[in-house]
Amino acid sequence: MPALIEARDLTKNYGSQLALNRVNFTVESGRIVGLIGPNGAGKTSALRAILGLTAYRGHLAVLGREPFANRAALMREASFIADVAVLPSWLKIEQAIDFVAGVHPRFRRDRARALLAKTQITGARRIRELSKGMKTLVHLALTMAIDARLLVLDEPTLGLDILARRSFYDALVNDYMDETRTILITTHQVEEVENLLTDVLFIDEGRIVVDCSIDDIAARYAAVAVADDKLVEARALRPFYERPQLGKTVLYFEQPDFAKLAAFGEVQRPSVSDLFVAKLS
Amino acid sequence: MHTYMWLVRREFWENRAIWIVPAVIGAVLTIAALFGRIDLGAAISAEQQRMIAPTVLLAYGFTFFAVMSIYSSWYLLECLYTDRKDRSVLFWKSLPITDAATVLTKLFTGVIAIPLVYFLAADVSTLLMAFIVSMRAHAYFGSVLWQPELWLQLHALWLYVIVTTALWFLPLTGWLLLVSAWAKRAVVLWLVLPPLALYGVEHWFFGTHFVGNQLTERALGYLPRAFYDHSNPAAWSTTVIGTDTITAPSSVWRLLNPIGFVSSPATWVGVLVGAAMIYGAIQLRLRRAET
Repeated sequence: MPALIEARDLTKNYGSQLALNRVNFTVESGRIVGLIGPNGAGKTSALRAILGLTAYRGHLAVLGREPFANRAALMREASFIADVAVLPSWLKIEQAIDFVAGVHPRFRRDRARALLAKTQITGARRIRELSKGMKTLVHLALTMAIDARLLVLDEPTLGLDILARRSFYDALVNDYMDETRTILITTHQVEEVENLLTDVLFIDEGRIVVDCSIDDIAARYAAVAVADDKLVEARALRPFYERPQLGKTVLYFEQPDFAKLAAFGEVQRPSVSDLFVAKLS
Repeated sequence: MHTYMWLVRREFWENRAIWIVPAVIGAVLTIAALFGRIDLGAAISAEQQRMIAPTVLLAYGFTFFAVMSIYSSWYLLECLYTDRKDRSVLFWKSLPITDAATVLTKLFTGVIAIPLVYFLAADVSTLLMAFIVSMRAHAYFGSVLWQPELWLQLHALWLYVIVTTALWFLPLTGWLLLVSAWAKRAVVLWLVLPPLALYGVEHWFFGTHFVGNQLTERALGYLPRAFYDHSNPAAWSTTVIGTDTITAPSSVWRLLNPIGFVSSPATWVGVLVGAAMIYGAIQLRLRRAET
């Protein structure tokens, strides 16, 4: 089965500024991929290109299609939420449901109603009357009611409180996700998605810095807390990042010799957020 | 087709003024018919009554048409701009709707749907007015308003005007859509300044007035092409009421000049220019996801 998203030498520039610099990556079906990077790293440019919202250079295939020329066709099988709630303020919730049901062959009205029923938001209300968090919930309900093969979420929980965030991610994993779907998600809150991701793509200054499945992190990366007296010796193994922790120094290694590392202390698998900090500092 | 139906409904949801404004105008005109003065200050003959009747029926239509032209232009100027400004364009673009379908729906709404709504409102108001005038001044004037032939003429005129103005003013429509798809802010400035700048540059550097002449011709060229003027005496009749000389169209059928309109090259040059600009608006819509 071909990859769901395949990017080769994907390049996007705004004038002389290079937002994506010959980026290569693939996303396989059935995965939950976190596209993670600091502000201005090229996350949004990559998502815009994938969703057919912007022209680019290089090769890009999403669900087997070139996205920019085929956005409408692509949106029959993919859906997305851009970084903040962007539903039009004049729209009534029942109108939104009717409209999406009218134009989208894979929209399931009953599912949207069930999702909205949990939020106590009534259909006669206009989007402008809702709080920011409620707007996001409505948008999420509309999007999750679409039977999409690819769901792209750009900072989906921005403006939501901690309870709403948690229930959103629970719904995403338990009610929505199955082996036929693929989710690509960007967020600043790495800790929040850490436990649901199957793969991570770290992006910085227009380049992919880490492209790895969560399962492979343990095989490829290691963190060891080293006491001061062994620090010089451990540094000889060329860590790519280090930070002090409780009187010791945690050293981060890529493709290390695990046998040698074990001599300095307990070898740990770095968490996604630690790896992110280590790789992008 | 199904998708287009939803897209047009969407326009009516968003722009409730499409039907609220004509409803208000209709209400005001109906109140005017109920309580306004309806005699002409002089005795008129039955023949004169018959002559003025079409003009009386047309008067309401003109009011609606004037407002409709302004509203429709404003609608076209805003339609591709507001959803980029509030970023809801990202929601619309997350649905399986092509950008061409979006732009063509706005075009259809601006030049066909909105005029038809106003046409309906004008029709209902005129009907109410005719009814009220009949009740208030049956002997004086009312009876001449109920000629089926007159109403047929009225409807033919409306439909003729909707179709011919849509074609003749397509360059204006195209320009409005282009600006709407292009501007990151200040749509009105983008609407006005480029033609003005072109006019100025041409005037200062070449001393010619091609741009100005084209714009004037487009603005003033519609009526002489689509209608017969006083040079066709059969289309007009004149009478004296009191101290006023009144000239009124004798029949709508003699006023319309569809052959002259369709055979004028300027009509089709305009359609081509307008179509090119609409194509440009679609291309911009593809690329501009935000303001």
